[in-house]
Amino acid sequence: MRGLHSRSILTSKRDTPTRLTTLDRFGCVRSPSASIVFTMSDNPTSPISSPPTPRTANPAAKVVVRFRATGNAPILKQNFYKITASQKFQTVMNFLRKELNYKAQDPLFLYVNSAFAPAPDEIVGNLYKCFGTEGNLIINYSTTAAWG
Amino acid sequence: MHRCSYLPLVTESVREVFVKSGVAFTGHDADIWYEYRGVPLKWHYPIGLLHDLLTSQYRGSSPLPWHIIIHFTNFPTDKLIRINAANIIDTPHDSFMSMIKEADYIRNGSIKKLMSLSKQDQTNLWQGLSSHDYDKFWNVNARLVTNDNTIPKYIPLRVYLLDQPVIQEPVAPVDDNLDCEYTLRDILGRMLPEIFPPSLDAPTTEGADNTRKSDASEAVAILHGIVIPIETPILWLSQNCSYPDNFLHIVICR
Repeated sequence: MRGLHSRSILTSKRDTPTRLTTLDRFGCVRSPSASIVFTMSDNPTSPISSPPTPRTANPAAKVVVRFRATGNAPILKQNFYKITASQKFQTVMNFLRKELNYKAQDPLFLYVNSAFAPAPDEIVGNLYKCFGTEGNLIINYSTTAAWG
Repeated sequence: MHRCSYLPLVTESVREVFVKSGVAFTGHDADIWYEYRGVPLKWHYPIGLLHDLLTSQYRGSSPLPWHIIIHFTNFPTDKLIRINAANIIDTPHDSFMSMIKEADYIRNGSIKKLMSLSKQDQTNLWQGLSSHDYDKFWNVNARLVTNDNTIPKYIPLRVYLLDQPVIQEPVAPVDDNLDCEYTLRDILGRMLPEIFPPSLDAPTTEGADNTRKSDASEAVAILHGIVIPIETPILWLSQNCSYPDNFLHIVICR
């Protein structure tokens, strides 16, 4: 029935480079010298961090994220990246902050489809299923609250 | 505490009670966090959702009042989103408004309806919620949640299980011909077929229906602390039983 089947969350090859960098490790900070690991619990009721229990048949399924700069935000050299669907939105936030060389206190706002800012613990796969367009999850970013 | 509120909105008055009774706390309200049976409570979840999520498995054995523990130190930054001290009320407000926008986008494919509200109306949503002013809130929210009496494209809905990540996917309220309204059973049957098998009323082969009946009878859908009849149309549920953030937050209890 319309709307009740999950859309494909495999990497789309249309209009994207053939080899995409994966953002998964930005669940941690990328720099080899950093030791911060962000591992927020996936299960709302779990008292300790535990591996996510995947619902999809393929737990390694990837989502293609497309970044779009807004206003005066710097433009990335590369706009398309892939990320495992079960990752949190926080991973995308961590990656962008690092890629732009922004410190924790530098303002950076991320939105889906120029509409709303997901909570950091929202799951990328869910966001793609609900808001993906043409095989990508579009993430707009700005240095001021653009749609807040 | 109000079900349809958020923990940061009660922190100030709760902190005052504890400090008056002798707790030596000189930090900021952003340092305070809550926990139930070892689980840190997410401040961006409605209080009613937190309660349903964490107590539904103890139905019958954990009566109200809901005992939660307040912490003044050791904020678990690996498990909870940290609010900047300067934004202790702005951040929950922004988070709430983002949910409202997400719900509008889900219904209509854009946030035009929300953005067409006057600035005062948008402000009244949060002010009505945070001051528990029912009329102030509903004068604005009625338009959003009924979608100005048009059928939404999809329903803002999240499904929570105790041992899996949150589920959110496109949920249409009616079929393509607009003549069949989907029920909660239809929705959950597609999202979680192993927990909500196909309708028990459908003709079955001999001997099969007894097994399915016993498997299906275990799971219930909980919303606002009550078990929702599984045949409830999802559109009606969305228009009448959504949380203030315009989402149906449904907890599945097996």
